[in-house]
Amino acid sequence: MDGGKVTPGRTMALLAGASVLRLAMFTLLPGLPDLLAGRVEISTPVTSFKRLQEGLFLYNHNVSPYDGGVYHQAPLLLPLFSLLPSFAAFPLATYMLYIGADLLSARALLRIAGSGEAGESALFASPRREKRASGLVVAALFLFNPFTIASCVGRSTGVFTTCAILHAIARAVSGAPLGAMVALSFAAYLSMYPLLLLPPLLLLCYDRQLPKRATRSLTQFATTHLAVAAGVLAALFWMSFLVAGSWEFLPSTYGVQLTLSDLAPNVGLWWYFFVEMFDSFRSFFLAVFWLHLSCYVGGLTVRLRRQPLAVLTLLLGIFAVFKPYPSISDTSLFLALVPLYRHVVPLMRYTFVVAAVIMYATFLGPAFYHLWIYAGSGNANFFYAITLVWGLGQSLLVCDLTFAVLRDEWEVERPEMVGKEIRQI
Amino acid sequence: MSARQPLQDVQDGTAVTAKDGLQTSISSATPTSSRKQPPPEKPSDIRRRSLVILSFWLIVLCLGLPIWWKTTTIYRANLPLQEMLDWADGKACRPVFPLHIAIQANSLQEQEAQNLVRLTQHALDDLNDFSGHHLRLQLSPPSGDKKPASDHSAALTIRLVPGDSTTSTLDQYAPVLDITYPPNTIPSPTSSSSSLATYVASQLRSTFAEEQTIISYLLSSSSSTPPEHRAQGLTPEAAELLSKRTTRSLKYAPTYHLTLSLFTSGPLPSSWDIEAAIDEYMKPVLDVLAPIHNFTIDTQVQLYATPGVQNQVLSKEDLSSFINAAEWPLSPSIGGAPTVNFVVFVGNQTIMAPPTISEGADSELPTFQSFLIPQWGTVYLLPLPHNTPHLSAAMLKQPLLTFTSHLLSLTGAPQSGSLPLRLSTLARIRSADLLLRASSTLGSLARLSLALPSISIPSSVADGVSKTMAHLRLACETLGGADGLAHARIAESEAERAFFEKSMVGQLYFPDEHKIAVYLPLLGPVAVPLVMGLLNEIKAWRKRRRERAEKGAEKKAE
Repeated sequence: MDGGKVTPGRTMALLAGASVLRLAMFTLLPGLPDLLAGRVEISTPVTSFKRLQEGLFLYNHNVSPYDGGVYHQAPLLLPLFSLLPSFAAFPLATYMLYIGADLLSARALLRIAGSGEAGESALFASPRREKRASGLVVAALFLFNPFTIASCVGRSTGVFTTCAILHAIARAVSGAPLGAMVALSFAAYLSMYPLLLLPPLLLLCYDRQLPKRATRSLTQFATTHLAVAAGVLAALFWMSFLVAGSWEFLPSTYGVQLTLSDLAPNVGLWWYFFVEMFDSFRSFFLAVFWLHLSCYVGGLTVRLRRQPLAVLTLLLGIFAVFKPYPSISDTSLFLALVPLYRHVVPLMRYTFVVAAVIMYATFLGPAFYHLWIYAGSGNANFFYAITLVWGLGQSLLVCDLTFAVLRDEWEVERPEMVGKEIRQI
Repeated sequence: MSARQPLQDVQDGTAVTAKDGLQTSISSATPTSSRKQPPPEKPSDIRRRSLVILSFWLIVLCLGLPIWWKTTTIYRANLPLQEMLDWADGKACRPVFPLHIAIQANSLQEQEAQNLVRLTQHALDDLNDFSGHHLRLQLSPPSGDKKPASDHSAALTIRLVPGDSTTSTLDQYAPVLDITYPPNTIPSPTSSSSSLATYVASQLRSTFAEEQTIISYLLSSSSSTPPEHRAQGLTPEAAELLSKRTTRSLKYAPTYHLTLSLFTSGPLPSSWDIEAAIDEYMKPVLDVLAPIHNFTIDTQVQLYATPGVQNQVLSKEDLSSFINAAEWPLSPSIGGAPTVNFVVFVGNQTIMAPPTISEGADSELPTFQSFLIPQWGTVYLLPLPHNTPHLSAAMLKQPLLTFTSHLLSLTGAPQSGSLPLRLSTLARIRSADLLLRASSTLGSLARLSLALPSISIPSSVADGVSKTMAHLRLACETLGGADGLAHARIAESEAERAFFEKSMVGQLYFPDEHKIAVYLPLLGPVAVPLVMGLLNEIKAWRKRRRERAEKGAEKKAE
């Protein structure tokens, strides 16, 4: 399958297979969607489908959806879901919406892989680019990744963010910077953290401009496109204001992410830390955590200026570990982009360790959560320890991929060092 | 992250530093000709690395530091510390109780009366040794009827009535002192002394003697009062007696909760006519206490109650364990108000008279049926025939009268004098007490904020302090009146609220050393690569500059 050519027939077969699998899980295993929707690994306070339904109920009864402090998601999801036939009466419509989002993400991935940006960007061409993965493989690895399937069946609204981010990248690599800005604004509107992807995405757009209407000045390009993104965001906020009737959605959606007021356990590193934190230092450490999350943007963008897509991939990996309410849907987005760098995999040193650690955490995580919450024989430390392992596995993958990408770049400069042992100090 | 780290190559197990220019590991001792020098770093790479380091440090300096400053500075509202300490030291307010005494002398000529008042005032001033407590005499306009003019500003009215001999009687129902005098004792306008004036003065003094001692005791026991302000005439015995009485009385509260309980050792009596009895015997006193305290009342009946001591005759030692605290449902406090317990115990126990104490000297044992428990309430032992099913109001008369008189001493009222006088004295004592307590709380708060520079002072505390001081000032001006008590009451509650502010208490035990434990585990590991990166970069930059300077010098030399 390695050299699998992307043909319309094969693509259709892949997408059909993925949708049939999802539909089967939705319909043939009636208990599964609700079981997955209740898992903390999939449903965080800001992506949970149950909370979305609560908000929807309030919204349909003309009560502010943010009353009661359960719903923390973007207001525009509400009219979208209330346009669908009611989930209780006709769940298939909701299922189709989620499956459609996954298929759209897969299509975006096909386009990203097809562009060859990972191997050969405007400023840099990897000597190994011949070995890159086919788009079909990349899309299949995304569509049949258990994490992706679980997020889809668990109906986490993170699926839509994933779709928007992948579309932003796909638009960027196909030379449509305005489309990329619009898609990224949607992603930022839904989850806020994608806003940090703006600098590398701007560079990616700038590098992949169509020659006939290219803007030469980076400053001018950045200013216009930032203005576009700001305009789209402003429009989205204005529409939200009209839907919600007041600005109170801002503190209930983005405010919750900024202040971590909901301390429900999840696979991230924040909740336990802030459960234990002294009250007087809480706001300081919130700022530290957010700064830590955002400080990688500048450094990585400057260091990997010649490969903006690699910056985006690495940043998504970092966010999946360090963002306030991460779930496995964030990990699935990161893992969707990693196969684009198949050509540097031979340079990676810890692939086995990373795979083992991620598998270990995947299987033990639910078990430890069960021991803590249901069996009562463990405590919160059990679950937190396994989320640390989970974070360790992912950050190891991020580090390893960074190393591989940098080494790939370096070997262009120093061709005589290819294949030599190297040590990082 | 590794993105910041330069890649370096290794040959034969020896590290050759490639990028940062620190050629430390190349030793001349083992020169190997095969070792290759890495090609010199490109200027663009150097620039890029500086930019990466700069991007991290910009975030730290531009965002991190201001946020750290903003979120961890302790908010300390400005407190008027000196003023607060002045209040605590008694410098801000000199508690003075100007008591106006009205003199009614309907049968005297205006001239004679004025003269008498002047002489009496002289005599009073000569007798008085305590400046805080001041009696001012005033001649009130003669009124026709026998009732004293309802002059509320006057603490006491003296009615001078001609009679056969010099006598004085205190009216039981109104603050009136009736003094009769033989007509020949009226001083002549020219005389500088008069036996009547001396007599009136000494009567007045004895009437207010107790109040004066109590107030001077209060002032002297609040240690901060300047010494010249203390009363000199306070004997140690009197002080001891007063301290005993103060410990017995309840802490001041605007509302007291009275719990009347009937405990019986057997099945009977199972009901009592308590409401009628309260209305008849207790209500009048509660009504007159109303300006000072509010009261809420509840009652309960408990059958088969076993006291803590089963002796037939209770000795003094038994009394302390008589209350069966484990089984009797006497809750310590209902709502926010302190509870005063009054217990009627129906049984056949009596209290043994203490042999060493002569009758009446110890007010804890006014009768041998009841005893007072300091700051708690009273127990009355009611002997009854076995088969009394119901206690009528008449049977409750004696217990309730006892309770009422004990209630007065529990609230801290003075022991002597007529009831109206005792109550007005009580109001004055309470306002002095509250004033002193609020002042000393202010002082404690000021000392606390000076002693702990790391404690946060929320603005609510500053508000409370300024409110307290405003009311203290008002109370100080109107001491002795009804307003004074109200202001002192508000001042005291505000001061307590400011002192026991919750957010301050949490920070009390958070010394600076703990901050290391909070910051270091997370920020330490983050800071090491940041700082090391910056230091290496600066070193490399200085080295490059030096090399460039050397090169320039060589060129010049050529």
